[in-house]
Amino acid sequence: MKTVITSEDKSFLRLNEIIAYKSLIKHLSLRDLKVRYKQTWLGFSWSVIRPLVNIIIFGALSLLINKETSITQNFITVSSVVIFWQLISTVITDVSNSLVSNSNILTKVYFPKIILPISSVTISLVDFIIAFVIFLIPTFILLGSPPWQIILVPFIILYALFFSISIGLFFATASVKFRDVKFLLPFILQIAFYAIPVFIPTSKFLSLNIPDIFKTIYFLNPFVGIINLFKYSLFGVYDGPNTTFLLINAATIIVLSILSIRYFLKFEKSFADYI
Amino acid sequence: MQNTAIKVQNIGKKYLINHQNKDAEESLVRSIFKGAKKIINSSNKKTIEDFWALQDINFEIKKGDRVGIIGRNGAGKSTLLKILSRIVKPTTGKIEYYGRMASLLEVGTGFHGDLSGRENIFLNGSILGMSKNEIEKQFDEIVAFSEVEQFLDTPVKRYSSGMYVRLAFAVAAHLNPEILIVDEVLAVGDAAFQKKCLGKMNDISKEGDKTILFVSHSMQAVQKLCNKGIYLSKGKLIEYNSIENIVNLYLQSGEQAQSNYKLQKPDNESNGFAHNVFIEDEYGKPLVEIPVGSNWRVRICFTILKKLEHFIGGMGIVSALDLPVRTSWSIPQIINPGEYEIIFTNNDLMLTTGTYKLVIGLSNNEITFHYNDSTVSIVISDAGDTATNNRIVNTQSGLILNPMQVTLNKIN
Repeated sequence: MKTVITSEDKSFLRLNEIIAYKSLIKHLSLRDLKVRYKQTWLGFSWSVIRPLVNIIIFGALSLLINKETSITQNFITVSSVVIFWQLISTVITDVSNSLVSNSNILTKVYFPKIILPISSVTISLVDFIIAFVIFLIPTFILLGSPPWQIILVPFIILYALFFSISIGLFFATASVKFRDVKFLLPFILQIAFYAIPVFIPTSKFLSLNIPDIFKTIYFLNPFVGIINLFKYSLFGVYDGPNTTFLLINAATIIVLSILSIRYFLKFEKSFADYI
Repeated sequence: MQNTAIKVQNIGKKYLINHQNKDAEESLVRSIFKGAKKIINSSNKKTIEDFWALQDINFEIKKGDRVGIIGRNGAGKSTLLKILSRIVKPTTGKIEYYGRMASLLEVGTGFHGDLSGRENIFLNGSILGMSKNEIEKQFDEIVAFSEVEQFLDTPVKRYSSGMYVRLAFAVAAHLNPEILIVDEVLAVGDAAFQKKCLGKMNDISKEGDKTILFVSHSMQAVQKLCNKGIYLSKGKLIEYNSIENIVNLYLQSGEQAQSNYKLQKPDNESNGFAHNVFIEDEYGKPLVEIPVGSNWRVRICFTILKKLEHFIGGMGIVSALDLPVRTSWSIPQIINPGEYEIIFTNNDLMLTTGTYKLVIGLSNNEITFHYNDSTVSIVISDAGDTATNNRIVNTQSGLILNPMQVTLNKIN
C-alpha cells in the first residue's frame, strides 16, 4: 500500500477511508454519550426531562398565542415543531463545535477529519428519538392512530439532517480560524427559530397584511418547507410552500451543501495549523 | 520487492509569523477592520514574515531501519514528524511511504478522564487507527503490559499519573503498523517504566520489517534504539548517517549551547518559579561555550510568590549519556516573596569536552515545586589553550580531568 503526501490544498471525500475508520466513529459517539451524564444525579433521565419540559412550556405558550384552533391540536402541533427544531439546532451547534472541541485529537493524529462532525450527530439523534417517543405517546392518546404519512418521517429527518450537517460543516470550518462562530451561532439559531412556523402556521402567516416580498423570502427559507413536511408526515395535512418552492428549497440545500463540503475539504489539511 | 519504506523529497514547511499583534487567534472583527485599513491605507506596513520551519528535506528510509531524529529545540523535528504523520501538510515537496503508518506524538491522545480504563483502551486504540478486532485480540496483552488490571473499570481521572501513562503507552505499544513514528513519549513516566517502554520498542523494531522514526533528546535512548540518524538544524537536514556518526556530530557541534535559557513555568506556580538561566564565566560574562579548564557559573533567576519556610535551590550536571555527574544544593532558608537569583560556581571540577545537561530544581519543605531537566545544557569546548589541552589525552580518559595527587616512589 502506497501513500503519497503532497503540498496540495485539496483533499477528497474518500468513502472507503471513512468506512475504514468506522470504529472511530462508533467510539467517539460512545464517548460523547457516556461522558455526557457522568457525575449527574439524574443521569440519563435528563434526556427525558429536557424535551418534556420544552414540550410543556412551548405547548402552554401556544395556547396563549393561537386561540383559534382546538387546544389539543395546537398543543401537539407546537410541541412537534419544538422537538424537531431542537434536533436541527443541536445538530448545527454540535457539528459546528466538533472540530474545535476535539482539537487535542486533531493536532496529534491523522484521520479523515469528517469523522468528527459525523460522530457529533449521534447525541442529538439519540435525544431526538427519546423526545419523539415521549411526544408520540400523548399524540396517540389524544388524536388516535396517525395517518399513513407517518412512514415519511425517517426520510424527512434524513433530509433535515443532511441540511443541518452541511450548515454545521461550514461553521465548523470557519470556527477553526474564527472562534467568533461560537458567539454568533446562537444568535442565528435564535432568529431562525422565530422565522419558522412554530406558533403561527404558514397559512396564517400568508393571510397577514404584509408586502409580498416578505412572503417570498419566507418561502425561500428551506427550513419552512422542511418543517411543514414534517408536520404533514405527522398529521396528514399539508400547509406549506407549493411544489415550485419546495424544488427551489431542495436546489438551495444541494448547492449550499456542495459549497460547504468543498469549503471543508479545502481547509481540511490546514486545520492542525490554525486550530 | 519494495525496499523503500519512506521517501521524502524536497519537503518544506512555511509558517507565517505575525510580528506586531502577537495573538495568533485573529478575531473576525479585527480581520474586517484590517481589511478596511488595507483598503484605505494601501502602504500598510508589512507585519507578516515567512518562517521556514523546514526546508529542502530529502531522505529515503529503507524498510526495517530505525531512524533517530536529533537536533535542538526548534530544529524542525516535531514539524517533520507532523508532516510525516499527515497532521499538517507540507508547503513544498512530496513524501511517499509504503505500508500502514501509525504515529505516537503524545501518550494518551483522546483519553477522556471520565471514561474507565477499559473504555479508554478502545477509544484510544480506534483513534490511533486500530480496528475493533485488533484491539480485542490484544486487549489482554495491553492490560498486562499496563499493570492496571485492578483499576480497569475506574475512570482514568482517578488514576495516578504513572498508571495513566502506563495504560496510554500500553495501547500505543500494541499498535501493529509497518511504520511507527514516536515523539519523545519516553520523557514521561518513571525510570523503570521508561526502561520497559524502550525495551518494548526494541522488541517491536526487531519483529521483522518494522520501520521506526524516533525523536528524543536522550542520546542514550536514541543510540540504544536506532541504527540510523538524521540531524536537523534550523529546519535543514545536516546529515543522514549511521546513528553513531550522527550522535557524535551532534555532540561535537555544541549546537545545544546558549548562554541564556528561558524556562517554562511549572504547572503549579503557586510557590514561585524559575524563569531564566544564564551560563557565565566567573565574572558574569555570558558564555556560549565554556573553555575546558576554566571556571564557570550558572545563574538561575526565579520568582517567589509566597513566604517559604524551608527553601532549597539545587542544580545537577548530567552527561550527554545521561550519567549524573554532580549535584549541589543551597542551604535551607526562609525567604519572602520577590525576585531572586541563585549562583552555582564551578571552580574545582574540570569536566572534559562535550555537552552536559543541567537539572534545575526549586523546593520547599522537601517538595519540589519547579523541576526542569530538559531545557538547559552547557558545552565544554576545546580551549585552544595548550596548558590545559595538554591534560586532555582523549575523552576516553574520563569525564573528570582534574588529576589526582600522583606519587611515584622507588621502593627498592
